[in-house]
Amino acid sequence: MNLSSLRLLNRSLDERQLTWAIRFLFGISIMLIIALSYSYHTINKELIFYSERVDHTQRVLITLEKVSSKLYETIYHGRTYLLLKDTANKRAILKSIDDLNPLLDQLDTLMESPPQDKRVQVLRTTLDNLYDRTNIYWTDSTVQLGEQEQQAMLREASGHIEQANRLIREITEVENKLMHTRMQSRDNYKQQVFRYNWVIMLVALVFLSSSFILLDRELKRNNLYRIELENKVENLNRSNNELEQFAYVASHDLQEPLRKIQSFSDRLLLKYSIKLENEAQLMLYKVNDSAQRMQLLINDLLSFSRLVKPGANVQRVDLNDVLEEAKYNLSETITTQKVIIKSSGLPVLKAYRVQMVQLFQNLLSNSIKYSRPDIVPYITISCKLVEGSEIPAIKPAHQDVQFYLIEFSDNGIGFNSEYAEKIFVIFQRLHARDEFEGTGIGLSICRRVISNHNGYIFAKGQEGKGANFYVYLPLQPFIS
Amino acid sequence: MMNQSILMADDDADDRFLVQAAFEDNNIPHHILFFEDGDQLLNHLSSTSGNGSPSFILLDLNMPKRDGREVLKVLKTDKQLRSIPIIIFSTSKAPDDVNTSYFLGANSYVVKPSSYEHLKDVIQKISDFWLNTAMIPS
Repeated sequence: MNLSSLRLLNRSLDERQLTWAIRFLFGISIMLIIALSYSYHTINKELIFYSERVDHTQRVLITLEKVSSKLYETIYHGRTYLLLKDTANKRAILKSIDDLNPLLDQLDTLMESPPQDKRVQVLRTTLDNLYDRTNIYWTDSTVQLGEQEQQAMLREASGHIEQANRLIREITEVENKLMHTRMQSRDNYKQQVFRYNWVIMLVALVFLSSSFILLDRELKRNNLYRIELENKVENLNRSNNELEQFAYVASHDLQEPLRKIQSFSDRLLLKYSIKLENEAQLMLYKVNDSAQRMQLLINDLLSFSRLVKPGANVQRVDLNDVLEEAKYNLSETITTQKVIIKSSGLPVLKAYRVQMVQLFQNLLSNSIKYSRPDIVPYITISCKLVEGSEIPAIKPAHQDVQFYLIEFSDNGIGFNSEYAEKIFVIFQRLHARDEFEGTGIGLSICRRVISNHNGYIFAKGQEGKGANFYVYLPLQPFIS
Repeated sequence: MMNQSILMADDDADDRFLVQAAFEDNNIPHHILFFEDGDQLLNHLSSTSGNGSPSFILLDLNMPKRDGREVLKVLKTDKQLRSIPIIIFSTSKAPDDVNTSYFLGANSYVVKPSSYEHLKDVIQKISDFWLNTAMIPS
C-alpha cells in the first residue's frame, strides 16, 4: 500500500458520518430537483396559458377584421345597388349579412371581459339597426321612394356605420393592448423557463457530483480494505499451514530427541543404579520427569493445533449423548470422587461431535480437578435460549442471532474473577504444578472448540465458592 | 528355528543401540542384524536368499534413501520375501502411517515407546509373540 492510499484510509470522517453525509447530499439534491421541477412545471403552465391567450387575442383580432370587411362589403353593394339596381348586388348584400351573423356570434364567444362583451352587444344592435333600416332600400318598393327620403335614409345608415366603425376600432384597440401585455408575459415566462432549466441542471450537477465524489472515495477505500482483508486472509492461511507443519514437526522431530533423553536416562537408572550415588539418581529422575513433562506439553500442543482445522463433518449432535460420553470417559474419577452431575434441557444441534465431547469432558474434568477436598463435587449443566445482543463483547454480525447458553456451574475452589480471561490462554495455569497437575491446555481447547462453532465461552468464579462457565452456541448452525 | 535371525532397519544409531540393549536385557538369544537404511536391508535379503529367511523384520518408516514404505512395498510384492513377518517400528502415531502400512501388507504396527522400560517391555512382547507364540514360515 502506498502513502496516498494510507492517507485515504486515515479518513477525517468516520464511516457513520460519511454515510450520513452521502445520504444528506442525495436527499437534498433529490428534494431540490423535485422542487425545481415543480416550479418549472408551474412556470411552464403559465407560459402555455399566455401563449394560448396570445393566440386567442389574435383570433379575436382576425374575427374583428372579418366583421369590418363584411360591413364594408354590404355598404359597397348597397350603394351600388342604389345606383345601378343590379340584383347581383342585392344578392351579395344578403349573403354578406348572412355571413356577418356567425362572425358576430363567434366574436361574442371569444370576448373575455364584460366591457368588451358590452361593446360587441352594442355593435350587434347597431348592425341590426343598420340592416333593419337599410333593408328597406333594397326592397323594390323603396327604390321607388323620393330622393329626399332616400337621402334621409342614407344619412341614418351612415350614422349607424359610423358607430359600428367606432366600436370595431375600440374593440380592436383593447384587444391590441391585451395582446401586447400577454406577449410581454409570455416572453417573460419564456425567459424564466430558460433560466430555470439552467438552475436545475447546475444544482443537480453540483449535488450529485459531490455525492458521487464521496461515494467514489468510499468505493476506493472499500477496495483498499478488501485488498487488506485479502492479504490478511492470505497471511492467516499461511500461518495455519505453518501451524500444521509445526504440528507435524512437533510430532516427529521434536519427540525423537525427547524419546532418547527418556530412554537413555531410563537405561542409565536401570543398569547403573547400584553404581550411582543417591544425588545422581535423583538428578536422573529429574531429567526423566522433565522429559516426560515436555512430552505431555508437546502432545497437548499437538491436540490443540489439530483443532485449527476441524477435519470431521458437521452432524446433528444430541448434547445429552455428548454429556453421557464425556461422563463415560471420566467414569473412573467420577466414581472415586463421588461426583454428582445434574443436567437439564440440553439441546440437539449441528456440531462437530468429537469436539463437543472434548468440550464437555474438559469442562467436567476441570470442575472435578478443582473441587474442594472437604465436599462432594456437584456440577450442574443447564441450557436456555438467549439473544445474541445479551452476550458480552459479541461480534456485530452475531448480534441478531439466537444462541444456546449452556451453563456449567460447580461448587469447587473457584477462582478470582480477575483471571476469567487468563485461564483460557494456552498453558496458563493459576496454581503451582505440585498443587494441581496438568499442562494448562484444557480450557484453551474448550475455547478453540467453541470458536470453531462460532460460539463464545466465558468464565466467572468466586474463590472458595465455585466456578461458572458460560458456553454460547449459535441456534442456527453457521459453520462453513 | 533357533538359528533364524532377526533383522532391523533403522537409520537412528541410538534406536539401534537401545533395541539391541532391550534384546540383551530380555535375554533373547536370537542373532540380530541391523541396517541403516532400506537399501542395505534389501541388499542383504537378496544376497542371502535361499539360506533361510529371518524370523521377522523390524522396519522403521522414516529413513533416508529408500524409506520404510517403499521397502515394505518391495518386500510384500516379492514372491519369496512376502512371507517374512514385518513389524513396522516407528515413532509416528499418525493414522495415515498406520493405515498405509497395513494396506501395504505389514504384519503389525508398533509405536516406539518413549522410555527404555517401555521399550524393553515391548521388545519382550514382540519376541514372545513372533518367536514363541505364532508359527512363522521356516
